[in-house]
Amino acid sequence: MDLSIDDKVQALRQEIRAFFAKNLPPEFARKTLAGDKLTKEEHKQWHALLREKGWHVPLWPKEHGGPGWGPMERFIWEEESGMAGAPRLNHVSQDLLGPVLIEFGTPEQKAELLPRILSSEDWWCQGFSEPQAGSDLANLQMRAVRDGDDYIVTGTKLWTSYAHVANKIFCLVRTSTDGPKQAGISFLLIDMEQPGVTVSPIYTLGGMLSVNEVQIDEVRVPVTNLVGREGGAWDITKFLLGNERLMGAWIGVNMAFARQVRERLEQVGPDGRKRSENAVLAQRVAEVETDLVALRYTTYRVLADELSGKAPGPEVSVIKVRGGEIMQNLTELLMEMAEAEGMVHPLTMPHDGLPVVPFELEHMAQQFFDKRKLTIYGGSSEIQRNIIARRLLNV
Amino acid sequence: MDFNYDDNQRMLFDMVDRFLTDKHDLVKREALLKDPAAEAALWREMAELGLMGAAFPEEVGGFAGSSADSFVVMERFGRHLVTQPYLYTAVIGGRLLIEGLSGDARQDAIGPVIAGERQLALAAGSTHMLRSAEDTSFTAAADGAGWTISGRMPVVLNGDRADRLIVAARTSGSTGEREGVTLFLVDADAQGVSRRSFRMIDAFGAAEVVLENVAVGGENVLGPVDGGVALVELALDHGVAAVCAEAIGAMEYLIPATAEYTRTRIQYGAPLAKFQVLQHRMADMYIQTQTAKSMALVAAMSLDGDAVERQRMISAAKVQVARSGKYVGYQAVQLHGGMGVSEELDIGHHYIRLNVINQLFGDSSFHLARFGALARPVAA
Repeated sequence: MDLSIDDKVQALRQEIRAFFAKNLPPEFARKTLAGDKLTKEEHKQWHALLREKGWHVPLWPKEHGGPGWGPMERFIWEEESGMAGAPRLNHVSQDLLGPVLIEFGTPEQKAELLPRILSSEDWWCQGFSEPQAGSDLANLQMRAVRDGDDYIVTGTKLWTSYAHVANKIFCLVRTSTDGPKQAGISFLLIDMEQPGVTVSPIYTLGGMLSVNEVQIDEVRVPVTNLVGREGGAWDITKFLLGNERLMGAWIGVNMAFARQVRERLEQVGPDGRKRSENAVLAQRVAEVETDLVALRYTTYRVLADELSGKAPGPEVSVIKVRGGEIMQNLTELLMEMAEAEGMVHPLTMPHDGLPVVPFELEHMAQQFFDKRKLTIYGGSSEIQRNIIARRLLNV
Repeated sequence: MDFNYDDNQRMLFDMVDRFLTDKHDLVKREALLKDPAAEAALWREMAELGLMGAAFPEEVGGFAGSSADSFVVMERFGRHLVTQPYLYTAVIGGRLLIEGLSGDARQDAIGPVIAGERQLALAAGSTHMLRSAEDTSFTAAADGAGWTISGRMPVVLNGDRADRLIVAARTSGSTGEREGVTLFLVDADAQGVSRRSFRMIDAFGAAEVVLENVAVGGENVLGPVDGGVALVELALDHGVAAVCAEAIGAMEYLIPATAEYTRTRIQYGAPLAKFQVLQHRMADMYIQTQTAKSMALVAAMSLDGDAVERQRMISAAKVQVARSGKYVGYQAVQLHGGMGVSEELDIGHHYIRLNVINQLFGDSSFHLARFGALARPVAA
C-alpha cells in the first residue's frame, strides 16, 4: 500500500499548473468557474494556446499529434483542468471521436479527419440517444439502408450535445434488424452541412441551450464513412465510453466547486456573521467535502488497479453515481449560499450600468438546475445501480 | 377536527381551478411573460373574480372567512404553475397593510389592492429571500414631520410590477437588532426611486431597487416606529403558509404526472412503471407529499391563533414542506429522464419553483432554529 504519486506525474501536475497560471486567460477561467459558457471563438483561442504546448488533444498518442499520456497523466490533466477552470473544448471531437478513429478508422479516414480535428476545423457531435432509445440504447431506430456505394439514412437523434455548433455528427445507425439488437448497429460519420439534416434546439431548465434534436431525412452517406465493420458499432461504443469512464467522477470540476463552497462558507453573510457560524450549513459543507475526498480516492483506486494491469470493470458505475450526486450537492450549496442573488435568471439580467448581482453569483441557479442531467444521461443512476447489482453482486 | 375545505372554500377552489384551467398553462405562461399588458389584464380578471379579496377579512372589505382561504388560492396556483404575484401583493403586502394601518388610511390602502389596481412588494433590505427585516440595509432619517430613506436592495421580489413598495428601513440602533426598524409605504414612482427589472429563475418578476433620499410623509409609516420587525415576521408567516399550500398543489400534480409518464414510456421492452425501484420511488413521493400536506394545512389553520404556536407550526411546516417538495420535484425530474430537464415540459418548472420555495421566507436551517428556540413538550 502506498498513497504517493510518483515524481514524474507530480512534476507533470506542477507543469500543468504553471502553464495554466501563465496562459489560461483569467476571463475564460472566471466564466467557466461561474457556470457561464464560452463562445466558439473563445474556445478556438484557447485551443491555439494549448496547441503551442502540444496539449490540445490530451488523449491522443504521440504519432497522431497528442502528448502520448498514460491513464494517470490523463487523469491528472483532467483534475488540473477542472480545478483551474480551463474550458473543455471541442471535447466530443478530441476526446471521443479522435481516439475511435485512431483505433478503428481506415487509413483514409485518419488522413482526412484527424488533421481537421487537430486544427479545430471540424466540430463533431455524438448522435446516440433517440426518442425511444435513452437508457435502452440498443433500441435505436435510425435506419441506414445500403444503396450502391451509399447508405440512405433516416431517423431522429435526441439530446445531442453541441449539435447547434457542430458541422459533423457521428451516429449509431441500424443497418440490420436481424439477430440481437446490438449486432445490427453501425457507426457512421455524417456531414451535417447538407440538405436533409435539421437541428432543432432543446432548451433545458434555466434557459440553457446545449442539447438538440437532430433529424436526418433520406440523407446519402458514402459507405466509406462507416467506422469499423457493418454491425460492429457496439464494440466501438464500449471503447468510446471506456475512454471517458473516469470522467464521470468530475474530480477536478467538483474540487473547484468545493473550493467555491468553502470560500463562501467562510465569508460574512448579510446578517453580519460568518456563514460558518451556522452549524447546520457548516456540517452540510463538511459532509460533501468528505464525500468528495472519498470519491477522489475511489477514483485513484480504480486508476491504480488499471495501471497494475487489472481490466476496468463495472466499479466505474460507483464513480459515475457518486460524481453526479456530489456535483448536484455542491452546486445546491452554492445556489443556497448565494441567496436571492443566486436565484436570478441570468438571461434576463439588465446590463446597463453596474451589475445587479455579482458576476460569480449570476449563474448559480441555472448551473444547479443544469446539473440535474448528471444522474440522467450516459446511463442514469438507476441503470448504474442495475449494473452493480447484476454484474458485481450477481443478483 | 376537520382538514377539509368548507363549502365556501370548495366554491373558491372550483372557481379558481376553472379559471386557471381556461387561462393558464405553460404555453400561455410563456406568452404572458413576454407581454406586460396581458399580465396586467390577467391580474385584473383575477381581482374581478375576487381572488385578492380572499386574502382580506370582511372588516377591511375582503371576503376571507379566515386566513386559511389563501391556502385554497395558492394551492391551485401551485398546481397551475402561476407566476402572478398574489403571494407578494395580497398575502404578504396585504397582511402588512392590515396590521400596520388603521381607519381610513387602511381602507384607502387596501381598496385598490382588492380591486386589482395596485401591486405591492416588500423590500426588507437584505440579500436573503425575505427571511427577516432586522438586517435591512435601508436607512431612514427623521426629516421634520416625515422621513428620508436611502439604500439599495439587489433583488426585490415583485419589485418590477409593484406600485407601492413596503420598505423596511433602520431608524435607530444597529444592524441585527430587533428594535429600530420601521416600515414605510413608498410610491414606486416617487422622486429618488430607481428600479431595474429582471426575472427570477422561477420566472417571477423582480427588480433592483435603489432609494436616494426618498422623502415620505409620517402618514406612510406602517405600524409602530422602530417596531417593524415583528410585523414583517407576521407577514412572512402568512407567506410561509401560502407557499406551503403552493408546494402541495405542485406535488399533488407531479405524482400522477410521473406515474402516467412511467406507464407510457417503454424501455427494455416494458413500461418504466414495471420496475419496482421506480414504483418505490413514486410511493416515497406520495409519503412525502402526505406528511407535507398535513403540515401545510396545520400552518394555514394556525395563522389566526396564538402567536407562539403560530410560529412553531409555521416553522415545522416550512421544514417539512421544503424537504418534501425538493424530494418530490427531484424524483419527478429524474423519472422523466431527459424530458424532465427540458423547458418544454412543466415538470422541470415545478421543480424550479419548489427549490425557490425552499429558499423563500427562511430556509430550513432558519426554521429549524426558530422551532427549536420555541420548543415545548410535544404533548403540550
